[in-house]
Amino acid sequence: MDEFFTTPVAEKQAEVIPDTLWDMIILGAGPGGLTAGIYAGRSGLNVMILEKLSPGGQIAVSEQIDNYPGFPDGISGTELVERMEKQAVRFGTRIVMEEGIRISKEGKLFVVTTTGDKKYRTKTIIISTGADPVKLPVPEEEKFRGKGVSYCATCDAAFFRGKDVAIVGGGDTAIADALHLTRFANKVIIVHRRRELRAVKVLQEEVFANPKVVFQWDSIPSRVIGDEMVEGLEIENVKTKEKKVLKVNGIFAAIGTVPNSKIVRGIVELDERGFVKTNYNRETSVPGIFAVGDVRDTPLRQVITAAGDGAIAEFSAENYIKLMER
Amino acid sequence: MEKLLKEQDVQYIKELFDRDLVDPVELVLFLESEGSDKVTAANSQYFQYTEEIIKEVSEISDKIKLTVYKDDKEKEKEYGVKEISALFIQGKNVDKNVVFYGIPSGHEFSSLLEDIVSVSQGTTRLSPASKETAQNIKVPVEILVFITPTCPHCPKAVKTAHQLAMENKLIKAAMIEANEFPELSKKYNVYAVPKVVINEKVQFEGALPEDIFLNKVLSAVDES
Repeated sequence: MDEFFTTPVAEKQAEVIPDTLWDMIILGAGPGGLTAGIYAGRSGLNVMILEKLSPGGQIAVSEQIDNYPGFPDGISGTELVERMEKQAVRFGTRIVMEEGIRISKEGKLFVVTTTGDKKYRTKTIIISTGADPVKLPVPEEEKFRGKGVSYCATCDAAFFRGKDVAIVGGGDTAIADALHLTRFANKVIIVHRRRELRAVKVLQEEVFANPKVVFQWDSIPSRVIGDEMVEGLEIENVKTKEKKVLKVNGIFAAIGTVPNSKIVRGIVELDERGFVKTNYNRETSVPGIFAVGDVRDTPLRQVITAAGDGAIAEFSAENYIKLMER
Repeated sequence: MEKLLKEQDVQYIKELFDRDLVDPVELVLFLESEGSDKVTAANSQYFQYTEEIIKEVSEISDKIKLTVYKDDKEKEKEYGVKEISALFIQGKNVDKNVVFYGIPSGHEFSSLLEDIVSVSQGTTRLSPASKETAQNIKVPVEILVFITPTCPHCPKAVKTAHQLAMENKLIKAAMIEANEFPELSKKYNVYAVPKVVINEKVQFEGALPEDIFLNKVLSAVDES
């Protein structure tokens, strides 16, 4: 048994005083939002982070993060988040478990409305709402979600002890998930649309050396087979168009992300895939609104790039506040 | 047994409890004693860890009282215990209706701490509308929330279920550690967590916002 106990940092927050004018409201407590929170707290800004689900965003399900500097032996996503949260709270940043659902303008200020119809006035907003996994692109996805189709290997791998599972994807997440699944599953089949993996070299070496892993190259999922529960995955070879059925009880998908940019749709400019457009100051098309991390148009979506974004956006937001109050 | 909580975590929880606890809270833990025929290789370690972690938590504040029952069939019946281990949080607004089956470890440790604070304060974080809806439910509701300790979204589902129970004693809400109870997980076809089962009828996966969660509860009530 490998027990750990996470302490709830967010619950340490005192009640939010109504009618406060915030300097900054950060939407989303992933690494980007938390870093902005640390910087804003240290600058003495009156700052609040709103989080709808659980702090950490996608890294909370990363079993091990090996590319964030300062942790020579790697660190679990859960622990890294907890540390970032504590660091933000230490400097007075509030983390409030509410979801921002609407942004409106009120003179020079913004109003953020949350679930439960609470309204918060703020001078600046940092969008760090992150991204969600792309759904398995088959018609039966919804029917089998939670019935064998999963997007969280960390959460659900244990239910497939001794069974055969497929994982769709070839990037870092897919390969890390595949390796995690080998600890429980009998066989892990990686279904990837190309002939080679995109994942970083160290992960590739590890996965190629693992005897439980087999590959289905040049293949995409076409159909989930099963009555109530997943019993198989039909895949199609993109070159030969040949179809075949993999007998699996679990299907995990890690085929990219979709941005959680709904709250700013129609407010700030988005790119064709829905990511928030930003400049090098992490400013969006609306002065006073900034965006960081996975939700913005960035070439690399990692903990460190999100954290870097958070620092830059907070710096820009501070300058914006200074100009606004001049 | 070595301490499960790190000194810094104890410090952290102590600050939280000193600041936020109001009224006394009783933790009632049901276990099997060593040598009992219900103790197996699979669950004995779970029992040890559960007893230890709950003991450590209860020692942090003198507002928390711990009662442990081992092999006590009469008390188990009185509380309506379905599985062992079972941990009930007792306070002025809850009575045998907020329960953890299995160890509240990993991310669920935060659910346990928040529950203790909520019960001690006698309030929940639910919106006024949700509170009213929950309070108006007139029939018994049983909510089971299957989780794994490594699931970061799961506490949201557990907290929502437990908070609904704190608003209405007819609602009984249970966290179930899915790995610890494989038979139960199999019975309810748990392949992804959080998985919520209401009155044995309505089932869904995922950490839904409280208003949608509550609608699922109402739909289960309607079918009753």
